[in-house]
Amino acid sequence: MSEFLLEMRDITKEFNGVKAIEGIHLSVRAGECVGLCGENGAGKSTLMKVLSAVYPYGTWSGTILWEGEELKARGIRETEAVGIVIIHQELMMVPHLSVAENIFLGQEMTTAGGFVDYDGMNARAGALMARLKMPDIKVALPVSSYSVGKQQLVEIAKALNKNAKLLILDEPTSSLTARETRTLLDLIKEFKARGMACVYISHKLDEVAEIADRVTVIRDGTHVATRPMAELSTDQIITLMVGREMKNLYPREPHAIGDVVFEARGITCWDTINTSRKLVDDVSFKLRAGEILGLAGLVGAGRTDLAMKLFGCFAGESEGRTFLDGREVVVKEPADAVRLGICMIPEDRKRHGIVPLMGVGYNITLAVLSRFARGSLIDSESELAAIHKEIARMHIKTAEPLQPIASLSGGNQQKAVVAKMLMTMPKVLVMDEPTRGIDVGAKYEMYKLIFELALQGVAVLMISSELSEVLGISDRVLVMGEGRIKGDFPNEKLSQEQILAAALGKPTTAAA
Amino acid sequence: MPLTKNDIRRFLSEYKIVALLMVIALIWAFFAFMTYDADLGGSQFLTARNFSNLLRQMAITGMLAAAMVFVIVAGEIDLSVGSLLGLLGGIAAVLDVTYHWPLAGTVFVVILVGIALGMLTGWLTAYQGIPSFIVTLGGMLVFRGAVLGATGGTTIAPTSNELKVIGQGYLPEIMGNGIALALFAVLVVMALRTRAGRKKHDLPVSSFAVEIGRLVLAGAAILFFVVTLNSYQGVPVPVLILLVVLGLFSIIANKTVFGRRIYAVGSNMEATRLSGVNTSLVKMMVFGLMGLMCAFAGLTTTARLAAGTPSAGFGAELDAIASCFIGGTSMRGGVGTVVGGMVGALIMASLDNGMSMLGVETFWQQIVKGVILVLAVWMDIVSSGTNRG
Repeated sequence: MSEFLLEMRDITKEFNGVKAIEGIHLSVRAGECVGLCGENGAGKSTLMKVLSAVYPYGTWSGTILWEGEELKARGIRETEAVGIVIIHQELMMVPHLSVAENIFLGQEMTTAGGFVDYDGMNARAGALMARLKMPDIKVALPVSSYSVGKQQLVEIAKALNKNAKLLILDEPTSSLTARETRTLLDLIKEFKARGMACVYISHKLDEVAEIADRVTVIRDGTHVATRPMAELSTDQIITLMVGREMKNLYPREPHAIGDVVFEARGITCWDTINTSRKLVDDVSFKLRAGEILGLAGLVGAGRTDLAMKLFGCFAGESEGRTFLDGREVVVKEPADAVRLGICMIPEDRKRHGIVPLMGVGYNITLAVLSRFARGSLIDSESELAAIHKEIARMHIKTAEPLQPIASLSGGNQQKAVVAKMLMTMPKVLVMDEPTRGIDVGAKYEMYKLIFELALQGVAVLMISSELSEVLGISDRVLVMGEGRIKGDFPNEKLSQEQILAAALGKPTTAAA
Repeated sequence: MPLTKNDIRRFLSEYKIVALLMVIALIWAFFAFMTYDADLGGSQFLTARNFSNLLRQMAITGMLAAAMVFVIVAGEIDLSVGSLLGLLGGIAAVLDVTYHWPLAGTVFVVILVGIALGMLTGWLTAYQGIPSFIVTLGGMLVFRGAVLGATGGTTIAPTSNELKVIGQGYLPEIMGNGIALALFAVLVVMALRTRAGRKKHDLPVSSFAVEIGRLVLAGAAILFFVVTLNSYQGVPVPVLILLVVLGLFSIIANKTVFGRRIYAVGSNMEATRLSGVNTSLVKMMVFGLMGLMCAFAGLTTTARLAAGTPSAGFGAELDAIASCFIGGTSMRGGVGTVVGGMVGALIMASLDNGMSMLGVETFWQQIVKGVILVLAVWMDIVSSGTNRG
């Protein structure tokens, strides 16, 4: 019997003659956690799709050994049957089904009569959630009634229910709060102790450093290094990932802060389902020109709802007043907001950001298309010229300017979404988790862009669950918890602990 | 370099239209062979007369398909177009036959009513959130009921000669030639302007030889088209209307803000709305256009039959929808071309026309059309290697 539970040898996968990954090795022992690091587009997801047989045996070359024997799986059912379970970065939930139904999707428990055994499923699901330290989740409710963070834990419960021997986690914490992340990491350690193996893919290197025993780094589809974590620092991993040294993660630039351009007064939003519950509760704040205001808080604190309300696309009942340049403005529709110069980069890129079947270029010009029209016809040439300019300015990596945006990596999609909104020349830019799920290089470029915008006098409201990012970027930090503003701190000698304490509602010595 | 399966796949998915034209060529070759009769001096299918007939037959489905492409691309469906066509055709007949209105008045009112009813459907769908399948299923019944009421369940005939021209007239040879020449001139000017524009913005420009080749090809196609039709009786008026519609709708799809937004709405409505686009308005306008095309099709139907009949346009919605799908429009929205829909309509019309010539019984005609629809979409899925559902 081999020393390894899983060995992937010399894996190469081509798409239309282009090698997405070439000659990659990856091995995992039982009870071991291997961190898989690489920039977006480096080939991590492709490798995992090969492993989980999303790309079936025969569509790639190389060998996969599972418990010493060659694995020739033709579909995800076969890999799951042997114990390989993948949890994707994008949640794979059926929103209208209950938590329990989602956990048992595809392998529903049945009674002797052949009917679905809801009681049995609910009981087991409840037990699983208790094991995940999430006993307050009601497993009979639709999964969509929970936040993305909670849904992620449901995914993990689903994997546990499949008796996984190897758990592949693809960016599992990209939408989790600090506390949820903590829970998850502790859980993984517990699983490891019981002999479960794990491949942990994440851009959050401190998490990798904490739980990985070994780290495999890939770059541009090739294998760069596999080393014990003990021999590596996070800085060294970054160097391996980008192939050059990254000195400063946050390219801070001094910028002048001007007068108040935007003010929100008494913003309140009610839940669409439970209409007496306030998602956002009497929130007021001011935003100055050239100011980067970080909005921190736990997932579910109402930050996204607030952003949606400011942008005129909150679905439920809401009230509150907004002022732009001292004059009251009414934003009923996103179209109103865009016209006034208030823009938003949405959190859920796939659902709210990109128009998948359209070209990158046409996505970029979508908000300002009328600008290129002469009479009633679009001047295609001047549009195309502008597209070329934006693609170059934002460093969007795309083979063709009009290639469908869905074929690009997440980071490049995000750049295009940002480019689209910047085309409208906003005065106020709300960015909801602008660096979620994008790689170190793209993040750095995003930060540089934010500072550049601040320098131009744009007021930026940045929602982020990454506290280091909030501290690295913001001039001032607002903390939200349970729909209310729990703290307003200038970003001087501010610590992550202070923000977290405020978010959790613990009494703080007001630093402001 | 040897051609691999993938190369062919990519070529076909990129130039879907080429694959569709190949299908037409196949169908035509089949009917040409089957109708060959040495005594009558060759194939009866491939004559100028039949070509003219074929185009006239496809005109009505083509007009509906042009707008239906937009409806489906926007992620909606319209089942009411056959009934609306019938109602508008009926209104035209009543105004013309019973009240002796002048042609301009009839056309104006019919178009206005068409747009209004289309917009109403669109408003119910886009602003009130009723799924278009349901709104238009209801519309299908309501409009058909209204036709029966308006016509009293009988045929209203005969229509005035002026109205007949819309459905039965032919352009004099000189006019046909003139229009062809003008069209070619427009193509040349457009090509030159595009080149100038691309140069001005430092974008790559295709070589002059390629450009001229393209124009010569387009010119040859126009020439063949007009000469063939002129050798019979001239370009039929409904075919001219159809071609104008094809041109305008293609321009709307490719060159206008509204057109781009239709595709965006169909591909991801939420993202489009969050980009500051009034998506409800876009959808309502699309249904308005559909209503307009129903008016055109209704007028043409009444004019062609020289009568308003209560059953006019029965089942036309299915022909139009089938044409769109054969022409490569995606059921999920976001993908589809007007030219594709038009070619789909031509395929359907060719089947109808050829099978009728061969004396195939009606029930077989329906079966064959159904099979071709499923086959066409299946081929498309296989050739593009994607599941467009």
